[in-house]
Amino acid sequence: MEKIALKLTFKRGVHPAGNKNIAKDIPLSEFPTPSVVSIPLSQHIGAPAAPAVQVGDHVSVGTLIGRSSGFVSANVYSSVSGTVKEFITKRTAIGTKANHVVIENDGLYQESFLTPLTDLTAESVKARVAEAGIVGMGGATFPTHVKLSPRTPVDVLIINAAECEPYITCDYRLCLEKTKEIFEGIKAMMVALGVKEAYIGVEDNKPEAIRALSVFATQDIRVVPLITKYPQGAEKQLIYSITQRVVPEGALPADVGAVVDNVHTAYAIYEAVFLGKPSFMRAMTVSGKGCAKPGNFWVRNGVTYQDVASYCELLPETEKVISGGPMMGFAQSDLLPSTGKGTSSLLFLTKEEVAEGDKPISACINCASCASHCPMRLMPMFIERAVDAEDAAAAKKLHAMSCLECGCCAYVCPARRPLVTSMRRAKKMIKEKGV
Amino acid sequence: MNKFVVSSSPHIANRRTVSGIMQEVLIALLPAVIASVYFFGFYALFLELLCVGSAIGAEALYNKVMKREQTIKDCSAAVTGLLLALNLPATVPFYVPIIGSAFAIVFVKMLFGGIGKNFANPAITGRVFLLLAWGALMTKPWGSPIHWSDGGAFYYFRCILKGNSAIQDVAAVTTATPLSSLTQGGYAGKDLLKMFLGATGGSLGETSALALLIGGVYLIVRRIIDWRVPVTFVGTVALFALIYGGANGDALGYILPSVLGGGLLLGAFFMATDYSTSPNTKTGLVVFAFGCGLITSLIRFYGSYPEGVSFAILLMNILTPYIDKAFKMHPFGYVKQKAGGQKK
Repeated sequence: MEKIALKLTFKRGVHPAGNKNIAKDIPLSEFPTPSVVSIPLSQHIGAPAAPAVQVGDHVSVGTLIGRSSGFVSANVYSSVSGTVKEFITKRTAIGTKANHVVIENDGLYQESFLTPLTDLTAESVKARVAEAGIVGMGGATFPTHVKLSPRTPVDVLIINAAECEPYITCDYRLCLEKTKEIFEGIKAMMVALGVKEAYIGVEDNKPEAIRALSVFATQDIRVVPLITKYPQGAEKQLIYSITQRVVPEGALPADVGAVVDNVHTAYAIYEAVFLGKPSFMRAMTVSGKGCAKPGNFWVRNGVTYQDVASYCELLPETEKVISGGPMMGFAQSDLLPSTGKGTSSLLFLTKEEVAEGDKPISACINCASCASHCPMRLMPMFIERAVDAEDAAAAKKLHAMSCLECGCCAYVCPARRPLVTSMRRAKKMIKEKGV
Repeated sequence: MNKFVVSSSPHIANRRTVSGIMQEVLIALLPAVIASVYFFGFYALFLELLCVGSAIGAEALYNKVMKREQTIKDCSAAVTGLLLALNLPATVPFYVPIIGSAFAIVFVKMLFGGIGKNFANPAITGRVFLLLAWGALMTKPWGSPIHWSDGGAFYYFRCILKGNSAIQDVAAVTTATPLSSLTQGGYAGKDLLKMFLGATGGSLGETSALALLIGGVYLIVRRIIDWRVPVTFVGTVALFALIYGGANGDALGYILPSVLGGGLLLGAFFMATDYSTSPNTKTGLVVFAFGCGLITSLIRFYGSYPEGVSFAILLMNILTPYIDKAFKMHPFGYVKQKAGGQKK
């Protein structure tokens, strides 16, 4: 037990109210899939998948419907069995347009999976992860096989189970309900990376998860309690918290010998490697005071937000619908988008919940709160001024490119400056002007 | 189809607002206000209300005339007014605070663009302006603490009503301030408790170290101000008192009078900590506060004025942009840029 005595953390950051009690104790259950699903062919960072089926084709659960179109891309699989009805272009949760495969669900859920791997080698696991279309399931959706192929040798795998965003509890439920499977997945990942050490970082506001995981912990795969602080689950912060290694500006975690993957990704790898099940379903939290039936669900890709809102009983007082967490998630204008591999949560927030964000916007008073809470040690107020002056060179000199867009600055700003928007504008400006 | 509010992340925020911060400062100044009324009577309260009122009025009027959005609700004008009032002697005629507040708000704050844009602390600059304009009124009759029992609560009201000659009378009964005694070498240190509680001569808000400490600690606990500023500022002054005292054969005797006397605590807790006019990094704040302490000590011991807190803070205000430039925060994972632009 001595290995979990010490609680680790990074510097700076904020302490938003967790609000995890709404959904935390509701076990994962399968979300009732509607008669039609529309599965986005772009559920990941990188090139969209190319359609692998035609209208009228019969598909099973686990049929390849979108083929990876490059190294940084990912396969997409059918989440139901039935008939391909049409291809449509619609808005995704992050606001971009994407091609969607619309499938009529025959309700039979006939499965056609890959063959489980018997011989685990670095190459076979990596190939399987790529084939199964696994992407970072914390929400960033970066293709996992790319992460498992670092350009420099690594010596430590870090599993992110911090779940530092308020409200979200799907990873927590996963840790409780799929503990053994997560460890199997991690072992496969360690084979793929050739590392001997792995750490699972969990915030200490989830003692049950820490306890459950500790049962399976070994000398090689350790469970690390982290201090509850946002953004504990940010890649560079997590690496620092657990290994005290600092990822240099502009470098990748692999450059300090670390690879970070989400705990749900580890579970998806378990499924792909040992069950042959590709990535078409995920655990998702539905929460917020704007829904009457919050919970944690196994949701098949392609279920629309409207389907979720109907089942979880969206209340009329809902003011904001957030895909993802309240600190970094995307506000939705309507319920049209479909869920995908990266949809960790859908939040229905009432005015009361976002009211604290309704502080009046006023002039910057130079309090430097944004700077003193920035986990990347940036000075957002100066970057905002550089952006307003359209001075890309100054913004770059202030290291705007290092911004995580975690939102700590805007969260603490007493003048309610839209600082994250300014940071995004700064990055865009630096890229466009090529300074 | 439902329509929901769309805005950039983050979708939640903490409760702290600009007006909330200013209200906290006003709350923190309450003990000093109460002490001022206790020691100088109701004329002190009258001056404080007058200052706050004129500051708010000046800002409202300025916004109206310049057709700017009204900003008085952020309470920062009220803070400026109250701070200026606490820097006044109990004997000033009523027009002094009005002119001082209006000057501070219009010339020092609003003309530079309003809250957050001014480079010098408005209350301090207002005080310095009054010091230069009405040097005699601002320094000579400090006013001694009054006795409530024989109708003293209205003593200064009566003096002011009687006109200028009466103020001369007041001067006759005033005590020297602890600091002027200190540099004249006559301070015995027997009145330290009086100084701590506030029963000495001085401006309205400066006399009670206890009241200022209560307010200052409140601001630190509520995380409105950074503890580094008052601790470094006061610490530097104490250090110089030790050195100066040592050179004068009484190493320890100068420390407490230096710390408790004059405007040091008011300046260190409430004026040097002003967001707009102090640096933005922790290192910068320490350098800034050290500079404040150093200049204060130099003026006190070697300058022609007995008190130097205002001038020290004002001078450091001017240096703030340069301190910010010199003590930049390096980002997490900072890589030093080599001469050729090549990363190491």
